[in-house]
Formats: sequence, structure tokens, C-alpha cells
Amino acid sequence: MTLVVRFEELGAGDVERVGGKCANLGELTGAGFPVPPGFAVTTAAPAAAAGELAAAVADAYRALGEPPVAVRSSAVAEDGAEASFAGVQDTYLWRRGVDEVLDAVRRCWSSLGNPEAVAYRAERGIAETRMAVAVQAMVDARVAGVAFTRNPVSGDPATVAIDASWGLGVSVVGGEVTPDSFLVNKITGAVVRSRVGAKETECLPDPAGGGTATVAVDDERRSLPCLEPEELAALVDMARRVERHYGCHQDVEWAIDRATGELRLLQARPETVWARRPAAPAPAGAMAALTATFTGGLRR
Amino acid sequence: MTEPQPRTGFLSPFEVETPEGAEGWEAMYPYYLLFDPARRDQEERRFWFYNGMHFPEPMPAFDTITAESCYLSIGLYQGRVFSIPTVLGIEHRVVNGYVYITSNEVTDPDEIERRLQTFLPRIGHYYANWDDLVARWQAAVDDAIARLTALEIPRLPDLEDEQELIHDHRLGSNYRLLTAYDRALGLYNELNQLHFELLLLAYGAYLTFFQFCSSAFPDMGTQTMTQMISGYDTTMFRPDDELKALAAAALQHGVDAVFVERRPVEEVLGELERSDGGRAWLADLERRRHPWFFMSTGDGFYHHHRAWIDDLRLPFSAITDYVARLRAGEDLSRPRERLLAERDRIAAEYRELLADEQRQSFDEMLGLCRHVFPHAEGHKFFIEHWGTSLFFNKMREIGQVFVEHGFLADAEDLFYLNTHEVHEALSDLGLAWAGGAPGRGTVYWPPVVAERKRVLDVLSRWTPPPALGTVPEQVNDPTVQLLWGVTADRLRSWAEQETDAVTGYAASPGVVEGVARVVRNVDEIGSVQPGEVLVCPVTAPSWGPVFPRIAAAVSDIGGMMSHAAIVAREYGLPAVVGTGHATSTIRTGDRVRVDGDAGRVTILR
Repeated sequence: MTLVVRFEELGAGDVERVGGKCANLGELTGAGFPVPPGFAVTTAAPAAAAGELAAAVADAYRALGEPPVAVRSSAVAEDGAEASFAGVQDTYLWRRGVDEVLDAVRRCWSSLGNPEAVAYRAERGIAETRMAVAVQAMVDARVAGVAFTRNPVSGDPATVAIDASWGLGVSVVGGEVTPDSFLVNKITGAVVRSRVGAKETECLPDPAGGGTATVAVDDERRSLPCLEPEELAALVDMARRVERHYGCHQDVEWAIDRATGELRLLQARPETVWARRPAAPAPAGAMAALTATFTGGLRR
Repeated sequence: MTEPQPRTGFLSPFEVETPEGAEGWEAMYPYYLLFDPARRDQEERRFWFYNGMHFPEPMPAFDTITAESCYLSIGLYQGRVFSIPTVLGIEHRVVNGYVYITSNEVTDPDEIERRLQTFLPRIGHYYANWDDLVARWQAAVDDAIARLTALEIPRLPDLEDEQELIHDHRLGSNYRLLTAYDRALGLYNELNQLHFELLLLAYGAYLTFFQFCSSAFPDMGTQTMTQMISGYDTTMFRPDDELKALAAAALQHGVDAVFVERRPVEEVLGELERSDGGRAWLADLERRRHPWFFMSTGDGFYHHHRAWIDDLRLPFSAITDYVARLRAGEDLSRPRERLLAERDRIAAEYRELLADEQRQSFDEMLGLCRHVFPHAEGHKFFIEHWGTSLFFNKMREIGQVFVEHGFLADAEDLFYLNTHEVHEALSDLGLAWAGGAPGRGTVYWPPVVAERKRVLDVLSRWTPPPALGTVPEQVNDPTVQLLWGVTADRLRSWAEQETDAVTGYAASPGVVEGVARVVRNVDEIGSVQPGEVLVCPVTAPSWGPVFPRIAAAVSDIGGMMSHAAIVAREYGLPAVVGTGHATSTIRTGDRVRVDGDAGRVTILR
């Protein structure tokens, strides 16, 4: 029985074994994207003996070099195109040492029974409850956020929409701050809109150890855009490559490493809202469209 | 069903105040361009918007002909020739010297259907025979310009020529002067009829493509759409190309040092006359400037935007700049190949993002736009620049006749009389010349001209409101939508008062009205009643269970991809996030309208 698998050994076909998130991280690692290293604790693991599991996780964690890690649930039903599970399941950041990692893994499994998770599954009629856990090296993020490969509001498929804020991406994903927001045309590279958000707080590794701390951002950094134009361009390029890799629109989580300035890909999942909508009906040829223009038929 | 309330979002045209010192401005304009209190009800119920795009300055009395002549043609083709189903023509009025327009739309479904039956075969003919029709159009324009060029403006001599009057039985100079004026006006109108014959159909092709693109790519923006259509060989580039060629010729003839920034044109010409190289360059200028120096320094709607041919300052300053760049080793040629390659790359990548079944329509529409593009751009040179500059110069010749007979102090003063008054003044002049005594015009017009110049100066400092009258339910006129970007939504936002509203990120589309429930922390979410609008500082995953119950979500902080935004989109609820102060502005129980498309929450109370 395999209890632990490194991301390098995983691919998109491994959802049953390691859940959606881990299979994805494995797929992206294999495709050459800059995914921080990590491993999956498999869906078979909950059935294993406690000692056996602890030993397998500890070995894999040591092989990773015992860095601070993020521990996240990776359900078999999540991250598919049908449901996003956005924020419904658990994440434990900045865990250090074997004990903290194991504790976080166990908590992920117990989160299956959270009222929010139960309600979310019930709402969508999801019966599948098998879950794996992702353990991944933390990126000490100077800035982080999300990128959609289409504008989530207008649906424009030629726009990459980016929200970014100081510190770990959890501030943006969790809606704890008003982030900087950028709309970039992926074809022309033009920044269509750029708004500096208030970026009220940032989430940083807790110097006291054991997780993260949320601290206020000083006025000067609040008023500065947190991404430089070159970083924005690199991010758009990466988001677009992920979109091309999967052949559908993606919702990408990313971070920029404080020490090295390198862009990291933390997660990618199919965009779930616009994907369900049918494309606008196309008029049958130019003459029909012209007639519609002059008769008001195409007006929305 | 509740009837939509009529809104009078803008000032009534009858309530606009005349700026101090401009009283009596109305006197310089034809009666039919003014609002009339006798039909106040009708006129203020309509929607009038300021056409600042074409007419950004107060209109000198004569120059209203540029608007009148265009609107004669737009209405003619839209309403009476093509029978565009939903729209007739455009009306215009002058308010404090500025041009306001409105379009007459067809709303009766039976009438739209009836007009459609005429419309389809007629525009089908145009699109099917486009190239032939463009060639015929060009021939007609060339002919009208040739006739306008050849039109003689007679002087009024002391004695008529014996041969002409006694042997050849020609019309007398006073009759011929009147006729020449009418001919010039007629030829200008003829050019403007041609102005819109094909242009409206070209704009129709653009608008169709733009509507398709805005639906498939809502963020695209007209700039990118235009970029996909543009060609780089249109007639409108030609005048500038001639300037570049003249700059190159200056280097070639060794006279480039003559072109110094801000040097008066007379001095430059004088120095060029004194050398062989300079004279060779002047010969080049003579050869190249016709007709390309008929470019107006404006858009061809005001007499004082002189053509290059009459005011060499603009072309000479451009040549001076090009000379400097050539001397610095710069290549002035347009990177045509690169621009076309970039245009085609952008179009191909957008096409790639479309669904398979949309691609054929995209190709056809884009193809049609590119096909009509050279005409849509090129017409400007012939109508607004060459034709209009010629017309204004013929009027200057008539102005000179007035000067010779003491009616005006300066030929330019003619432009402070409207076209009908010029006709009257010519009758006065013709009678006076024949009668042998000075006309009343000699004492009548000079003070009128002086007063109008003063009034126009006052009006030039007045700021016209963007619109007047009543906001319409919708705007059907494709020309109005395309040229001015005027849509009913835009108008409503113009009209909206900035009180009792908050704005933020348009996080999830849709518009909904409901009762607000202000919830400051997650413990209170149990108080939210089904169908209420959630107003909160911020949401987190723990707020999830409330979303199936609410009609919309509004938050103080958060971005497009914050939790509230993502979940709202997943549930298809309108959401406005990052408003800054929704929880302090809105109170529980307030009736609010959440516009998730515009990012705006309006308190209706």
C-alpha cells in the first residue's frame, strides 16, 4: 500500500489516488512549471496503521529537507471543472517539524466533517468523500495572489485577471484584504486596468513559530502597487502557459519568493463558472449580423 | 409590473442660461436651429446630446452649414434611401452657440418590419457591388471638386464688358454673383451627400464587428478592434507622406539647414528663393502640394481651421521636424509590414479563443470591415479636407467682393453671417451696385459682425453640458452608438447624482434590488432573511452558508477574486466588493440596487 508519493511521480491521471490538488501539482511539476516541491499523502493512508503512516510521512518530509511546509486537503471530488470547493476545505501554513506536519495531515482529514464542507457537498450532490493531503514546501512570499485566465466578471477569454497583495496568498484568497487588481490583455500585453487596493494586512510566517501571523501593512506599502510591470508580464505568461497546457481556462495561485524574486506556481484548477455557460450564439454570417445591427437584433 | 419612471436626468434645453454678455446670441443662427418655446413640450421630452466630437467650439454663424449639410445627408440616407429599420435621421439645434443633436428612432414594430422590407434589398445591393460603387463614388467626388475648383466668383466692375453682355448676352455680374454663391453652396451640399452614401454602410460593418467582439470579448475596447481592421495605405496618410518626401528632398538639394524650428515661413521661402537648391526644392513643393496640401488643420468643420495650402506654418513645422530626424539618421518610412503582421497576429489570436462555430462569422465580419476600411478613412481627405477647404476659399472670394463694396472690413468677416444672410447681403449688394448707390449693408453688417465676434468670444468660455432633456429608454441609432458611444447606460450614469451610493469592484455581474442587511461579523449571519442583500465588512469561507439565501453581496473590502466574489459568481448573485464604506453608509432595512456590472450600489431608501 503506497502511503506517500512525491509530486514528480504524479500526473493528471492520479486523482483517485491522491485527490485533485495533488494530481494537479504533479501534472504541473512534470510539465516544467515552477511548482514548489512536495509530496502527497494518499487516499489509502487513512486506513493505514498510525505508526506506519507516521513513519512514511516523516521519511518523505525528511527527504524534502524538512523545510516549513503548507499542508492542504486534496479531495478526490475537488478541483474538478464542476465544483471549485473554493476555501471550503482546510489549509495549514508554515508547519515545521514532523509533529506539526502529522498534526496538520490529521486535521485535514477531520475537516471533511466541517459544516461548511458538508453543506457544500450536499448543495451539489457530491457523495465522494475520499481525501488525500498535499504537503508542499512553503514559499516565503513577498507578494502573492491569484490569476484567472479570463476575466471572471465580464467573461472575456482574452483577459488575464490578477489579484495580488503583500505576503502569503491566503490574504487574497480568503478575502481578508482589498488587493491590487490588474486586468491584462493576454494578446496585446496591455494592462487594461490597474487598481491599487488598500492591502490592509499581510500574512507572514509567525516568528514565534507554528504557523502564520497577520500583521498590518504600513501606509507607504499599502499605497504602492505590489507587482512591477515585468512581474505582471511574467505572471500573465505563466497563466497563459498553464491555460494552454490544460486547454481550458484556469484559476492559478502564485507567489513571488522574498529571497530570490522567483515566481512560483502554487496551484491551478479549471475555471468553474464561465465554463458552465454556453457561448453567445453567433450570427450566421456577415449579412445576417449586419441586418441584426441595423434592426437592433444584436443589442444586449 | 411597474412602469419605468420617466427620468429627466438633464437640464431642459429651455432652462439653459445664457452667459452674461452673450445675450442675443440666437440672432446669428437660422430660425430652424433654435429651440422654440411654442413646442417646448415636444422638445424637452427628447434627449439632446452635445456633439463636441465634431463641433467643439461655438459655431460662427456661417459655419453652421457644415453641420446642416451633414445632417441633410445622414437623414436622407438612413431615413429615406436605405430605410434603416430602427432609425430615421439626426436633428440638430444650437444652444449658446454649441451644436446639440438627437436621433429620430422608429419604435413601432410594424413600421420597423415595413422598413426592413425596403432595407434588405437596398443595402444588399451596396455590399454586393461595393468596389464598383466606390469607383463611381470617387468619380462623382472628383467631378464635384473639379466643378467647385472651376467655379468663377465674379467681381462687380464699374462697367460691364461689351463683348460679354452685348454680343454674348451673358448674365450680368450681379446675377452671376448670386448664382455663383448658390452653385458653391450646392456643390458643397453635393459633396456632403456623397459624404454619407457609403460611409454609413462602412460604419454599419464596423458596428456589427464591434458588437460581435464586445459580446465575445467584453474587455476588448475599440482600440484593439480598430487595430484589427486598420490598413496602412489609406489616402489619409498621403499628405504626411508628401511632407516626409519634401524633408528628404531638402537634404537631397542641400537646403536642409534652411529649416530651423520656429523660423517664420516667409523667411524660409525667401532664403530658398536665393539658391539653386532652394529653387529646386520649391519646384518639388509646387509639384507635391496639389492636392495634398488641401489638408485642413482641423477636421473640416470650421472656416478658421485653414488648409495647409493657405497657411504653410503647419506643414513647414512638420517638414522641419522630419528634416531633423532624417539628419539624425532616423528612418521615416512607416513600418507597414510590421504593422500588418501585428494586426494579423492579434486577429488570429482572438480568433483562436473563439468557439469553432463563431469563427466563420468572425472571418466574414472582419473581412468586410477591412474591405470597407479604405473608403471609411479615405473619404475624409476628399470631403472634409479638399472639398471643404475649397468651398471656404470660394466664400472668401465672395467676402472680398463685400470688402470691395464696403459691406465688410475683411473677407473673413463673411463667416459671421449665416448662409441665408449672405444671400440677403448679396441681393442688397447686387441691387446697390446696379442702382448706383451704396447698399444698406455698408452700415448694417459691420456692427453686426463686430457684435457677433464679441458674443462668440464670450460663448467660447462657456462649458456646454453633455446632454439636455430626457434620458431615453434605449438608444437605437447605430451611428450614435458607434460615433459617440452613447448608450442608455452611459446616459444614466451621466445623469445619476453622486449621493446615496457607493462604488467598488464589479465582482459578479447582474443587477438586483432588495432590502439591505448589514452584518458586521459571522455570528450575526443567522439574522439574514431570504432574499436580502448582504452588506458586510468582508467575507470568509465560514460565511459560505449565507450565500444560498441572499439576493446580492456587498463588502467593504475584497477584490474580484476574494471569497465573496468567487462564491457570488458561483451562485450567480450580483456582488460589489471593495466599496470602502458600504457598512457605514448603508443601514439595515434600506432598499438598495446592487449593480454587479457597474460596481455600484445605490441606496433607494
